[in-house]
Amino acid sequence: MMTHALTLLARTLARSSARTLVVYLLNNVPGLPPIVQTVHLLSVAAVMGSIVLIDLRVLGLALPTQSPAELVRRLMPWTWWALPFLATSGLVFVLNSPSRYLFNPVFGLKFAMLAPAVILAAVFQRAGAKDARFWELSRGRRVAARTIACASLFLWVGVVMAGRWIAYADILFPG
Amino acid sequence: MSLSPLWTWLESLPISIYIAGGWGFPLCESIHVLASTFVVGSILMVDLRLLGLAGRRHPVSRITREIVPWTLGACAVSVLAGFGMFMGQANHYMDNRAFQVKLALLLLAAMNMGIFHLHTSRGIARWDTAGRPSAAARLGGACSLLLWIGIMLSARWIGHLTR
Repeated sequence: MMTHALTLLARTLARSSARTLVVYLLNNVPGLPPIVQTVHLLSVAAVMGSIVLIDLRVLGLALPTQSPAELVRRLMPWTWWALPFLATSGLVFVLNSPSRYLFNPVFGLKFAMLAPAVILAAVFQRAGAKDARFWELSRGRRVAARTIACASLFLWVGVVMAGRWIAYADILFPG
Repeated sequence: MSLSPLWTWLESLPISIYIAGGWGFPLCESIHVLASTFVVGSILMVDLRLLGLAGRRHPVSRITREIVPWTLGACAVSVLAGFGMFMGQANHYMDNRAFQVKLALLLLAAMNMGIFHLHTSRGIARWDTAGRPSAAARLGGACSLLLWIGIMLSARWIGHLTR
């Protein structure tokens, strides 16, 4: 079922005119592939400077003089701005060779970690948006906040590392 | 192509051959990417503050004091993992034009940081809490921003060149 849907998606993408355009641009604009990859990496850097730092702060490891609520308000927009850039630059490479990505187990793993990471970020921000002290009001909430930060940290580290391992999937999953 | 005895010796070490042979290289590479994006993300924060574009209500000194130790720690991890990638094909990298550009830009970025710490930050008391730091501080921030984008671009370009 899942494989069938992926095959269909890969075939649709492979035949799309968007793919024709992307393949043409990547092959004819000098330096475009590393430039698009750099946009992707710079956006990852923005995620590192925002949600990853917030996670480290909530866990009590970094930026001790700035309150978590204030950091969320100030830094979280960087993550939300980076995501569309990540999606667009990533889509360029998926369109260039759909089957290379869609049937890659590490690509699947990356998105299996990305989805909960984004959901946790949204939940954490929304809950604290109405009341800056939301995550500090009770012992239970403080524990919950730390648990979310810890999970978020592991998920984002996993997403970034899996992103690089897509190219080496045959080493992790031989055969 | 010029082969240097030093790089050839480095390539011939058992650990270099081991890393180049299997999962060692991708592991080093993924750690390098993770640490480097953290380095750039945290430097970006300081640069944007110096330019007066972000975090304007926070003193520059507090932001640098709290973030720089993390930047340096991630930098050490990044250099170590990057060296792991370098060991197996040292001659190849030293000959790669993008790699040469990257090293030159890294040197400039280090000099830029040196100038900031030894010179620009001496007058920090005058603009520490100002939304718009001094012209010298803003220039340093702008140079750092451009240099680090250049470092990322040239680093990403290494793999697209055959030599």
